[in-house]
Amino acid sequence: MSGFGGVLPWARRTLVEKDKILTSEEFSAILGICQIVPGPNIMNLAVCVGSRFAGARGAIAAVLGLSIGPILLVLLLAVIYDHYSYLDSVKGILRGISAVGVGLIASTGLKMMRDEFQYPAMLLVVVITIVAASYFHLGLGWVVLIASPFALFLAWKKAHKL
Amino acid sequence: MSILLSLFLKLSAFSLVAFGGVSALLPDLLDLAVYQERWIDLQTFSDYFAIAQAAPGPNFMTVTLLGWHLYGVFGAFLATFAIAWPSSILIFYLQRLLLGIKDPRKKQAIQYAAAALAIGLVLSSAWEIALHINHGMAAYALTVFTILFTIFTRWHPLYLIVLGAIIGSMGLI
Repeated sequence: MSGFGGVLPWARRTLVEKDKILTSEEFSAILGICQIVPGPNIMNLAVCVGSRFAGARGAIAAVLGLSIGPILLVLLLAVIYDHYSYLDSVKGILRGISAVGVGLIASTGLKMMRDEFQYPAMLLVVVITIVAASYFHLGLGWVVLIASPFALFLAWKKAHKL
Repeated sequence: MSILLSLFLKLSAFSLVAFGGVSALLPDLLDLAVYQERWIDLQTFSDYFAIAQAAPGPNFMTVTLLGWHLYGVFGAFLATFAIAWPSSILIFYLQRLLLGIKDPRKKQAIQYAAAALAIGLVLSSAWEIALHINHGMAAYALTVFTILFTIFTRWHPLYLIVLGAIIGSMGLI
């Protein structure tokens, strides 16, 4: 619930620094895996951490614990929105927030891209993905299908070079 | 009922290709909900996007709100479940396999490949969402400001969201 702007930093603080359930290396390894797999990253993390302690039941408990509170809160906001969305100031506020939100998503991508400059050939995959998605307007599934052979090939080379 | 089924199936399919998380599939979600199925209009979609950004918690809330719009609280939980269950089952079985890979280079290669895919998808997602929901120079200026600010400072994103809300409430965007 206290995960403004994403839950990851908070998850790290709680699991590693406060409760010492995982070591920092374990957390990074699990996080790395969760970012490989598609789907909501934070749900994936919950599945990994939960199943580590109590198998499938732990995974389900972790996912529910992580999502139910925020879902109820966002629904409350949605009810408020339904009542006040006709107000010009509310419309303005939402326009302002969505402009910031787009920027936050872009900067997540750009921050991740920093690491790619140690092996610039990998940027080709990024370019292919962007062209397929934004220029040719292919659906997500097609983009992944087209770009992943290049991604795997270049990643294999990168892993052997660094 | 057929709307619910179609929502459930399409979101479940998205779950398995959403490298880079839910941010990466927002344009596909927009295309599906606004242009193909006409479940909601563009304004409502971008308002839901904004509410999801402003609310604490995971960033898949745009999906939750779409479900809520279609079928109330049940729709909200169904949509959230649909976006999460395929990838959750995948990671549940895959995690041991991936953690167990002995050859560190193989492991690295898989990680690099997924990261590159995620970067491309997230960036093009941001680009397309911006084209759809930013109207006018002021909105783009705010987006660019947000990007620069988050890259060059370590401020919490919440301050930027509050700033966006204040600027927006003055009618500037």
